[in-house]
Amino acid sequence: MNNIFKFALGIFSTLAFAWLAFVVGARVQFGDLKPTSSFHEDNGSIPLNADVFPQEFSGIAQQGAREYVSLGCTTCHTQQVRLVDSGFDVERGWGKRPSVARDYVMQNEVNIGNTRVGPDLANIGMREYSDEWLHQHLFEPQSLVQESICPPSPFLFDVKKTSGEGRISVKSNDVIRFISPSIRANRLVAYLQALKQDYELPEMAFVEDDETDEESEQLVVSIPDANSTQLPSWLAEQISSGKEIYSKVGPGGGGCITCHQPTGLGQPGVFPPLADSDWVLGNKERIIKISMYGLMGEIEVNGVKYNGAMVPPGMPMGSLSDQQIADVLTYIRNEWGNSASSISTDEVANVRSTIKDRGVMQMWTAAELNSVK
Amino acid sequence: MNISSEQIIDKSSKWVVSFFVASAGLWLLAAAFLAYIAAAKLTDPFFLSSFEFFTYGKVKIAQANSFVYGWGGNSIFAISIWILARLSQCEVRGRFMLLVAGVLWNLGITFGLLGILDGHMNSHEMLEMPSEVWPLLFISYSIITCLIIVMHRSRKIHETIAPQWFILASILWFPALFIIAWNGLEINPVNGTVQSVLSMWFGQNLIWLWLTPFALGVAYYMIPAITGKAIDKYYLAIFGFWCIAALAPWSVVHHLEGGPVPMWIPAIGTVMSIAMIFPIAVASTNFHATAFQDIGKVWNNLPLRFIIFGTLSYTISSYIGVIFSLPAVAKLTQFSIINEFHFNQRVYGFFSMIVFGVVYHMLPKITGKEIGKSAKSFHFWTSAFGVLILLLSYLIGGLTHGVLAQQPSLDWASSVISSIKPYFLITEFAFIILGFSQLVFVINIWKVLVPNPFEDSSKNKNLASKASTT
Ligand code: HEC
Ligand code: HEC
Repeated sequence: MNNIFKFALGIFSTLAFAWLAFVVGARVQFGDLKPTSSFHEDNGSIPLNADVFPQEFSGIAQQGAREYVSLGCTTCHTQQVRLVDSGFDVERGWGKRPSVARDYVMQNEVNIGNTRVGPDLANIGMREYSDEWLHQHLFEPQSLVQESICPPSPFLFDVKKTSGEGRISVKSNDVIRFISPSIRANRLVAYLQALKQDYELPEMAFVEDDETDEESEQLVVSIPDANSTQLPSWLAEQISSGKEIYSKVGPGGGGCITCHQPTGLGQPGVFPPLADSDWVLGNKERIIKISMYGLMGEIEVNGVKYNGAMVPPGMPMGSLSDQQIADVLTYIRNEWGNSASSISTDEVANVRSTIKDRGVMQMWTAAELNSVK
Repeated sequence: MNISSEQIIDKSSKWVVSFFVASAGLWLLAAAFLAYIAAAKLTDPFFLSSFEFFTYGKVKIAQANSFVYGWGGNSIFAISIWILARLSQCEVRGRFMLLVAGVLWNLGITFGLLGILDGHMNSHEMLEMPSEVWPLLFISYSIITCLIIVMHRSRKIHETIAPQWFILASILWFPALFIIAWNGLEINPVNGTVQSVLSMWFGQNLIWLWLTPFALGVAYYMIPAITGKAIDKYYLAIFGFWCIAALAPWSVVHHLEGGPVPMWIPAIGTVMSIAMIFPIAVASTNFHATAFQDIGKVWNNLPLRFIIFGTLSYTISSYIGVIFSLPAVAKLTQFSIINEFHFNQRVYGFFSMIVFGVVYHMLPKITGKEIGKSAKSFHFWTSAFGVLILLLSYLIGGLTHGVLAQQPSLDWASSVISSIKPYFLITEFAFIILGFSQLVFVINIWKVLVPNPFEDSSKNKNLASKASTT
């Protein structure tokens, strides 16, 4: 303690430890994340023609990010949707899924912020506000949301008395004014519109909202569902119930999502794909049996060999009912571009009756399944 | 007339310390002014809204920077020069260089704040001043640090004591933190959210490793100096010191619960924050067991009263801070205005109160002039009252904010924000009180630092000789 150099060495090394752990550690873990696609080829590579996300902001949006920083919007707005366990950000309609580190790799200024006096803006571009609305809000938030304390920025606009080309009308206290946005206002709005995490990533899928909450439905742009409206209602019902079982991890669900992924693509080398799988689209009996007792040992799916184990799905294991199995299998046969006939509860019950003597944890092997004809 | 060695030392530090104290005072006023504007804008968003210079985000950030670097930085220089000179029993040397560096530091901050208000803000926490001013700030800081170290190395007594560890560590930590952050954010910028982790780490450490140890060191010096009693359980101090050194840099990143960063970061932050209970307890025992042996003195001696207010507020609010870092609570409050509570309890309730105390103790010694008693006590009571209601309203307001924000069905503007508006009103009121209080402080100190041309100069001399003989 008495020698200043030794002392300095001591206090710097405690600091360096923490720095190493946090900054270097985080950098090693996340430092070279790249944009990616949630679609993978069987060998794990990204298809050549796939869009990768996140994408870079347009030039004007990048300039808008500078304006956002220089006006100190970060003092009140965060740009991070927290994990579902940590808060109700998704329920609030602030995003379709929690934000992950990869979402920010293309941004020069990362403004995740730490204070939420205003709502989270990570997905403001997804809330379907028009440019005009955002300009009005920027000019005078109180003209749209009366109780707002979002600061007005009239200095970014030219205020005119009459309407005209490119002017936007703002009505407050029964006075109508016409504003024409400056280039800075345009940049800022372009930036706000570019803030959207409207894509899925391999590490984070959209959170399914199980209640059809009108309001959050409105805020969250729903993904076009290819097979919803045209289907007969019993089939649509079976599929949507199957989707729930597929995604739900916990009692009453199948939890298939944890291994086969939201994309149905599995994980190269570990979990086989369900999308376009010759097993899923083929013989019904085999997959019904798999859904009851699981599967282990070597299996070839679309010509690729896997050797893992799928414990009997459900919680507790092997507890999926006939109805649930019918629904989830119908779902996987009709999702991700799959299209095959539905499976009914009776069919499942029939299969179950033929194998009712089987022990609970006795997983199938592919060979065994294929030998039964 | 016999002049003690202490008086020689005090005299050698007179100009330098006066310069830093005087500039610190001005920055404090600037911060108070900006704080009021920002608070007023939260209650009435149209207040000064047509001036881009005064838009909320800029004012808020400028306030924090002028507070931390202007008021904090200058008072750290002033007080550490004085205390370390006394402890090493050396005269302050390199006075001219100290003054030059001091002028540069203040110029740097002036340009930095104008830069923020003019729209050249950086996005990194507590590094918001434009990139151009940082080399200037860094160089002037290094000059001052080097001169302080040189002074410390020529000390007469080899053995060092707690105030020296804390103050030296704080002085040395700042440049180290700065270099790490500057390298990671500007020179070899890290990618994506790692940036945010780094900038948050820097911003929080600035409070935890720069302002906090400094104020603790000052308390370790002042409490025995005023009470005349040795620090109770002094042997714990070294443990407390290394605990802070080892834990604080880990404990500062727990506001990222559930965010887009590696999950282990907030987890470690939480564990370390809880471990911070030990150093907090040590400091609190050391200070309070010593001071409260003589409660009358704490009450009657104004500098000591300020300092004990600071250490008590440190203890209480640090424990509150520990509670708020528990994940279950952090989920609720991490993005709420409770963050303002954490910031203000550190910089106002703890750091500033201690600095006020030392300045009142130190200025009469180096200038030989007394400060009016009623003015000082007005300053104490308004500060104490202002800080208390400020902290209480941020605490209760922050809890309300956090709890309501977790109810997805409540509309944001009309329910969540509307229910914390009353607290914003109270903070505005608190900032008015604090503003007045600080105005009185600055008048108090400027009166002894700058000779008043209208006053009878012979009277001054009389006072001066009287003070130096007592
Ligand atoms: C004083 C804190 C504060 C600051 C600073 C602030 N905002 Fe806001 N902001 C709010 C509040 C509160 C709301 C919610 C009320 C509303 O919609 O106006 C909000 C809402 C918004 C919304 C609408 C969000 C939605 O989903 O409806 C946008 C867009 C927005 N702010 C943009 C900005 C921009 C751009 C800046 C920087 C110029 C900024 N804000 C600075 C507090 C703030
Ligand atoms: C614990 C991870 C896991 C879970 C949960 C899981 N599977 Fe599997 N699944 C696997 C593995 C591993 C294989 C390949 C087994 C092998 O190698 O023998 C597989 C194979 C399959 C196959 C046959 C091969 C193919 O790709 O078509 C189907 C069909 C299937 N699973 C459906 C489901 C369904 C339906 C659910 C939910 C009810 C589910 N799985 C849950 C891991 C899992």
